[in-house]
Amino acid sequence: MILIKRQLEYSGLIMLAMLLCLIPVSGGAAIQGISGTSFNFTASSGHISAADGDDVFFWGFGERGKLPQYPGPTLIVQQGDTVTIRLNNHLPQNTSILIPGFKVQASGGTPGQITREAPAASTTEVVYTFIADRPGTFGYYSGTNPDLQVEMGLIGAIIVRPSGFSSSAPTAYGDARTAYDDEFLFLLSEMDPEIHHAVEIGTDPVPTTGFHPVLWFINGRNGPDTMSANHVTWLPNQPYNAMPSIEVGKRLLARWVGGGRDHHPFHTHGNNYDLIARDGYLLETTAGASRPASELGTVPDLAVSDFTQNVAPGGSYEGIWSWTGAELGWDMYGHTGSETGVCEPGPAPPSTIVNGFDINTREYCLDHGKPLPVVLPNAQQLTFGGFYSGSPFLASEGSLPPGEGGNNPSAGYAFMWHSHNEKELTNNDIFPGGLMTIMIVNAPDM
Amino acid sequence: MKLFCRILITLVLLGSNNVLADVVVECPTWADPGHTQIDYTGGTFADGNSDGMIRADDGEITDPISATQVCLHLAAGDGLVNMADGYEQYMFGFANATGTAAADVLNTFMEGAVFPAPTIKVKQGDDVYITLTNVGMNRRPDLFDPHTVHWHGFPNASAIFDGVPDASVSINMGSSLTYFYHVVDPGTFMYHCHVEATEHMQMGMLGNLYVTASQDEVANGTVLGTYTKQAGDRFAYNDGDGSTRYDVDYPLQLAAFDPAFHDASLNVQTLPFADMDDKYPMFNGRGYPDTLAAAGALPYEHGASSPVSTLMTPTAGDRMLIRISSLSTTSFHTIGIFGLKMQVIGRGSRQVVEPYTTNSITIGGGESVDVIVDTTGTTAGDKYFLYATNLDHLSNDAEDYGGMMTEIQIQ
Repeated sequence: MILIKRQLEYSGLIMLAMLLCLIPVSGGAAIQGISGTSFNFTASSGHISAADGDDVFFWGFGERGKLPQYPGPTLIVQQGDTVTIRLNNHLPQNTSILIPGFKVQASGGTPGQITREAPAASTTEVVYTFIADRPGTFGYYSGTNPDLQVEMGLIGAIIVRPSGFSSSAPTAYGDARTAYDDEFLFLLSEMDPEIHHAVEIGTDPVPTTGFHPVLWFINGRNGPDTMSANHVTWLPNQPYNAMPSIEVGKRLLARWVGGGRDHHPFHTHGNNYDLIARDGYLLETTAGASRPASELGTVPDLAVSDFTQNVAPGGSYEGIWSWTGAELGWDMYGHTGSETGVCEPGPAPPSTIVNGFDINTREYCLDHGKPLPVVLPNAQQLTFGGFYSGSPFLASEGSLPPGEGGNNPSAGYAFMWHSHNEKELTNNDIFPGGLMTIMIVNAPDM
Repeated sequence: MKLFCRILITLVLLGSNNVLADVVVECPTWADPGHTQIDYTGGTFADGNSDGMIRADDGEITDPISATQVCLHLAAGDGLVNMADGYEQYMFGFANATGTAAADVLNTFMEGAVFPAPTIKVKQGDDVYITLTNVGMNRRPDLFDPHTVHWHGFPNASAIFDGVPDASVSINMGSSLTYFYHVVDPGTFMYHCHVEATEHMQMGMLGNLYVTASQDEVANGTVLGTYTKQAGDRFAYNDGDGSTRYDVDYPLQLAAFDPAFHDASLNVQTLPFADMDDKYPMFNGRGYPDTLAAAGALPYEHGASSPVSTLMTPTAGDRMLIRISSLSTTSFHTIGIFGLKMQVIGRGSRQVVEPYTTNSITIGGGESVDVIVDTTGTTAGDKYFLYATNLDHLSNDAEDYGGMMTEIQIQ
């Protein structure tokens, strides 16, 4: 079953430049993946589409009978489930799956160096079984010739929901410290297409020591394809997008997984996040210990506030991110202060202020009605971004020259989330792209 | 050629005067005694104490909008900077134009960018206005690049003042854009241009930026938990217990240049993004041994170096705060001090919940780490090396014993 909470939909043609033709109809999206306890995988080859236009030969895991995909299917399972993955293999060499973080039993197939393997070009299955005994975010990847096979694309992510998980009041680990309103997965990886080309033309042995990545991915896509919808027809082997959005004053759970062989420093524009867990282990002194979150609610007491997450190969990280607009020093909506029913002190008319924020607009009331502190230059002096609404104010649109803006019809605040190894914002020598996406903070649906 | 380009750019700008381009410095002031009207551009101010910024609390702004108002003016354009082996690199960058009359900014700062960008040091609670004027690329008149200021790590940033060109606006050549920041939190941040980020950052539009804590202002003798504030104490964060106390602080920004990239830019060649490979690892814009030289640009046969010294000269017994940030566009770096330990007390502009002691700090682009080095037990005359333990980063291109290294010389 494919979990769809709210589907990102886009219409229009995706061009190479990110500035063109991205027209989200509605914001928000859940993590895409497959749920259950029993999964049938086949490893096979195909081509992925890099955002520089290249068609890159790859090896991927896929649901049996479907296309291989990059990354492999995201498995969404429940804590306590006994999870079984049956793998067979159409590739020309043996392959396997490692699931670090769990005690995995392997049977069938043939013996391998690290685990049992699915034999090459065969219908013989290897079966991996583990008890998902703790919640969190995890990676999985090939344990056979991983130097080559991870590079070729045999990677994926697993999300384990905590016991008692409720999609209407979701948490990452079962309590309020890890509660969130929306969640997004960021599986980071890189590729050297020369290696893929060598595999495709049958070079033996494949030269992997000269590894020189020139393509960088989030959830298997390069920017700007990261911002296209999930399951778009023109990316049949790359079904997952990576375009986060959240309403003002809500909690976002970011799940980062290091899927390749390089470290990537992932920078969250807009605000710090609180890192709440690493590799599925909460950052807490004792079970349940908490501290106030940087913005909203609580987080485990050893949570680390930061603005850039070093995502290491094989590592996973979870962070709570929010944007409240507190203390901007000006009214983010451009209110004049004379609006009725906004930031009204009590008791008559009834107060709309709780904890310093308006309960409807979620604005920071001490800044209500404060003007923008500067005068912006006229349009001829500015270059406009595709995600600019034409107005500095949230949920407002202003006039823009013909052809400018257009990617942000909800007029949210757009923040780039990206690798701060800035070299990685390219697609094989072409800027912009790579390990990059845009986060949209939207006004509440009032 | 230089003169020709300057004339060409000036003609382009003049031809569009008052329509397409205009240098406007915004340091708003009250226009009337009743404080109902704001004069956005006509205020009177001068950098009386030459600290590189206009501050209301230094008495440098008449009728400021807020008592904690701070105004800065950065010029963005191109320039040249010498590496520690003498090699001159073409660069993009910022220069501090604060106090320069608007009419003089283009001529004064064209081809006047410095590396690293001017250090921005403000106080918690400040209302900061940063005017950015794009003075154009004198050596590359074919480029019409806009620029921005991205205050990296600013909490609850608005899109309009975040400096990401895709998300809002960037400023065109010959014009000015003023950013506003109500500075809520102390800590170690950084800033850079975000336009064509891979290119403009590799080219050098990078600088230190940090915010001092309001706890610095408490009276001597104030009890902070188990600690009592002494004269001269400063604090990295509002720790409430003196644990981030320091006597002397040093910003330490890591960045590196790839000469092939810079030369390709100067020579109007295709830029090697995929092959970007840094050969000049630097602290605050200098490779060792230039890192030791005093502040002020070092003269080379052709041009001059970064003006920033990274020599650290604490008095024995001092607690040193080193504000480490990285804006390297290609690499992680690991920093160590041979013979002294570091206590990590902050990262990502926040005090860490659990300080820890270490001999090495690994830092990627866009990360910041605050460490305290306690020099108790050292003696005047002692010398310690602070360096990248990626030993291949200790070079100035082909020259060995260079790169990311400096000295802590105990006084």
